[in-house]
Amino acid sequence: MIRFDIHRAAAVARKEVMHIMRDPFTLVLVLGLPVLLVVFFGFAIDFDVKNLKLAVYDRDNSRVSRQLAAVFESSGYFLPSGAVSPAGAITGLDADRFSAALLIEPGFGRDIGRGAAARAQFVADGADNSKAMAVLGYLPGISAAALRKFSGAAAADPVPLKSRYMYNPELNSRWFVIPGLAVIIIGLLSILMTALTVAREWENGSMELLLSTPLRPAEIIAGKIAPYVVLILGGVFFVNLAARFGFGVPFRGNLLLLLGGTVLYIVAALSQGIVISVVTRQQQLAMQLSMISGLLPSLLLSGFIFPIESMPVFFRYFTMLLSPRWFMETVRGITIRGAGAADLAVPLLALAGLSAVLLTAAFKKFKTDLEP
Amino acid sequence: MENFSIRTENLKKEFGGVKALNGVSFDFSEGLLHGLIGSDGAGKTTTMRLLAGLLKPTAGAISCYSGGKRAAFSAMRPSLAYMPQQASLYPDLSVTEHLEFFRELYRLDAGVFARRSAELLGITRLEKFRERRAGQLSGGMYKKLGLMCALLQSPSVLLLDEPTNGVDPISRREFWELLYAQAARKILVIVSTAYMDEAERCARVHLLDAGTLLASGEPRAVLKAAGTGSFEEIFIKGAAK
Repeated sequence: MIRFDIHRAAAVARKEVMHIMRDPFTLVLVLGLPVLLVVFFGFAIDFDVKNLKLAVYDRDNSRVSRQLAAVFESSGYFLPSGAVSPAGAITGLDADRFSAALLIEPGFGRDIGRGAAARAQFVADGADNSKAMAVLGYLPGISAAALRKFSGAAAADPVPLKSRYMYNPELNSRWFVIPGLAVIIIGLLSILMTALTVAREWENGSMELLLSTPLRPAEIIAGKIAPYVVLILGGVFFVNLAARFGFGVPFRGNLLLLLGGTVLYIVAALSQGIVISVVTRQQQLAMQLSMISGLLPSLLLSGFIFPIESMPVFFRYFTMLLSPRWFMETVRGITIRGAGAADLAVPLLALAGLSAVLLTAAFKKFKTDLEP
Repeated sequence: MENFSIRTENLKKEFGGVKALNGVSFDFSEGLLHGLIGSDGAGKTTTMRLLAGLLKPTAGAISCYSGGKRAAFSAMRPSLAYMPQQASLYPDLSVTEHLEFFRELYRLDAGVFARRSAELLGITRLEKFRERRAGQLSGGMYKKLGLMCALLQSPSVLLLDEPTNGVDPISRREFWELLYAQAARKILVIVSTAYMDEAERCARVHLLDAGTLLASGEPRAVLKAAGTGSFEEIFIKGAAK
C-alpha cells in the first residue's frame, strides 16, 4: 500500500486522457496556442530598429551637407525630413514626431573641403532607451560611409578592427526572439495545465473520493503529469516547425538533447502547477497564480530580452532559481550555436535539479486529507 | 472477509474555532447497518470524513477493531469504501468508464470485475444507461453510480454520507433495498441522513445534534427510552434543553 503502483498511476493518466479528448478546447489550446502565439509575437517583436523619423536642419545647405543627409537616408534606418529651425527640430522630438534630429552648422561643407574639423550635431530621443541605443549603434557606420563619400575613396580605418558575428551573421533578431518566446509560452502553458486539472478535481469534489481510495499522492501526480508531458511535446513540435520553416530559425544541434532538456523543463513547470493547485484548490485562483508566477519571471528574468549579466548581483543569483533561465540558455545554445551536452552541462544539470526540487515539493505539498 | 467495528471516544473536531463535533463517543458495532441521523450542520459529514481518515480529530480517538481485536486504521483502510455527500463523480465520464476507473484503482481481476459489475448494474438497474455520462444521469441514478463505485471492491466497511439526499421517494426506497442487500453480507455500513423516517430502517441509530450525541441504540429502544413516538420529537426536545 505504501509503494507506488504503476497501474493506478496509469489509471489516473488514462482518465486524464479521456478528459482531454472530451474537451477539444484543451487539446486545441495545448497543440495550437503555442504555435499561434509564437508566430503572432514573433512577427511583432523585432529589435532591428528601422524607419526612424529624422529631423534634418541644414543651415549649411551645401553639396556636402546634402550628401550627409542622403547617407542617413540610404542607410535604410532613417527617414529624413527637413526642419525649419533647431528649435523646430527639438519641439518635433518633444511631440514624438521625430526620433532623432541632425543639425548641420553653417560652413560644414567648407570645413570638410579644407580638411578641417567639420561640425554637425546629432540629437537622439533618450526617453526610449532601446531606440536611442540602436540609433547610436548605427552612427559609426553612417559616419564611415559619409567619410567615404566626401573623400571619394575608402578612408583608412583608424583602427583596423574587423568584427564578425558568429552563429547569427546578420544579427537577425528573430533568431533570438522566436526560441525565447517558445520557452516562455511552453512554460506558462505547462504550469496552467496541471494547476487547472488538479484544482478541477478539488472543485468537482472528486478529490474527496480519490483520497478515500487506495490511490497514493505519487500515483495521482504521476498520472496527472504524464499525459501533459506528451501533449505539450506535441505543442513544442509545432512551434519548432514554425520556427524552422516560418521564420528560418536554424537548428544546428542535437534533437535528442533538445528533447531531453524540454522534458526536464516541462516536468518542472507541470510540478509548479501542481504545487499551485494543491495550495489554492480553486481553478480561478490557480489560474491567476499560474499567470503571475509563470509569466513575469520568465519574461523579465530569464534572459529572454534583458541580459542576466547586466542585472544587479542579487538578481543574477535569483535567476538561478528559475527554470526558464536555464532552458533559455539550453534552447538558444542547441538551436543557434549547435552546442552539445558538454557545453550545456551547467544549464542542463540546473534544469534537472530544479525539476527534481519542484517535483518533490509537489509530492510533499500534496494533501492526503481534506483538512483546510 | 474481515469484520470491522469502529469506536470513537470523546471525538472533537474544530474548524478555526467553530466546533463541528463536541466530544462524541460512537459505537459502530460490526455487521450492522448504522444510521447517523441529524439535521444539516449536526456534524454528520465531519464524522464521516473523520471515520474515512480524511480529517484528523482535534481531540479524542477513533479505534478500529477487527474480530474484536484492536486493529490499525491502515489495516481497515484498503477495505473501506466511502461515498461523499457532495457530487464527486466525473460529469464527462460514462457509467462504464467510472467502473473501469475504480476497477483499476482497486486492482480487481478481469473475472471478478466482470461478475461484480454485471451484478451491480443488475441490482441498480443501470444496465441500460451504461454509456450515459454521469453529468446526464438523474439525481437518483447519480447516487446509485456513486454507490456502485464504492461497492465495486466488495468493501468490509461502507460509509455513505447522505446517499438519499435530494432523491425522489421511489428512488430512495430502491436505494434502501440496495443497502439492505449490503447489510445482509454482514459488513459494517454507516449511513448518514437528515430524513427522520429513514432512522427506523437502520439496525442502530445515532442521533447527532449540533456536534453532540443525543441518543444511540436500536431505533425502538431509543424511542422507548425517550418516551416519544418519533425521532423528530427527540430532536425538538434536545433543542429545547
